Amino acid sequence: MMVTALLIIHGLVAVALLGAITHQTLSAWAPVKARPGSFFGRFRTVPPAAFANAVVVLYLAAAVLGGIIYLDFRVDVRPTLEQAGHWQVLGFFDLKEHFVAIGAALLPAYWVCWRRPRDDEPIRARAILTSIIAFIVWWGFLAGHITNNIMGFGA
Amino acid sequence: MTSLFAFRRFASAFGTAFAVFYVVALKLDLALFTVYPSLGLVVLGTHRARDAVDPALGFLAPAMYWYGWAGSAGCGALVVGLLAALLPEGLARRIWLGRFWVVPMFAMVACVYLTMPWFRL
Repeated sequence: MMVTALLIIHGLVAVALLGAITHQTLSAWAPVKARPGSFFGRFRTVPPAAFANAVVVLYLAAAVLGGIIYLDFRVDVRPTLEQAGHWQVLGFFDLKEHFVAIGAALLPAYWVCWRRPRDDEPIRARAILTSIIAFIVWWGFLAGHITNNIMGFGA
Repeated sequence: MTSLFAFRRFASAFGTAFAVFYVVALKLDLALFTVYPSLGLVVLGTHRARDAVDPALGFLAPAMYWYGWAGSAGCGALVVGLLAALLPEGLARRIWLGRFWVVPMFAMVACVYLTMPWFRL
């Protein structure tokens, strides 16, 4: 029961993180002179740096919650998936673990890039770093979602 | 201002070094500690249950290494990050690192390569 509650909270935090990082990534890549009122123009009206603190906090919260749930996953869920032969799903989930760890270590650099930018720092580096974290968040969300639902697929 | 520059150097070096050390830890199975969730046990280093007692224990009491790999990489990256923070600003600026994100990207590709066996089963 407790793990189910944590899993739901983990999912909700992940959705909030997904929204924040996607918004920031799109606004980081969107043209500066986007037409006002256009889709990218509206993205541009929100300063992307404002998302940085939220992304760091949400990422860490999602990672910590995931790290707690992972213990039960390893004991109760993974053996079932192994017995059912869902090797590819387990591979995707392993990649999620690796990517999330690498992404967590990038958070200090990400935060500095957005909150304390330097004049001589290439803006593209910040956008690429944000995109890497966005990719990791999307991968983690989809891999976690598929793993959560896999026993229902094709049932 | 100086501390901000130092933190900037630390942050970029930490992220880069962590990615490298994580791949090394994953490839060589260098976990700082091993977790046995069903037993509520944490053992220092990479520990194989079957080494100690019985192969069946590996199924009954699965071991987890991810926390340990992250711990190993975190310790190594912390040292590199602190050393980078001590570098003089001029030298650090030359080494820095508008492209430091290349290393984590390669590390992610390496992780994909090391995970490929799952997809061949």
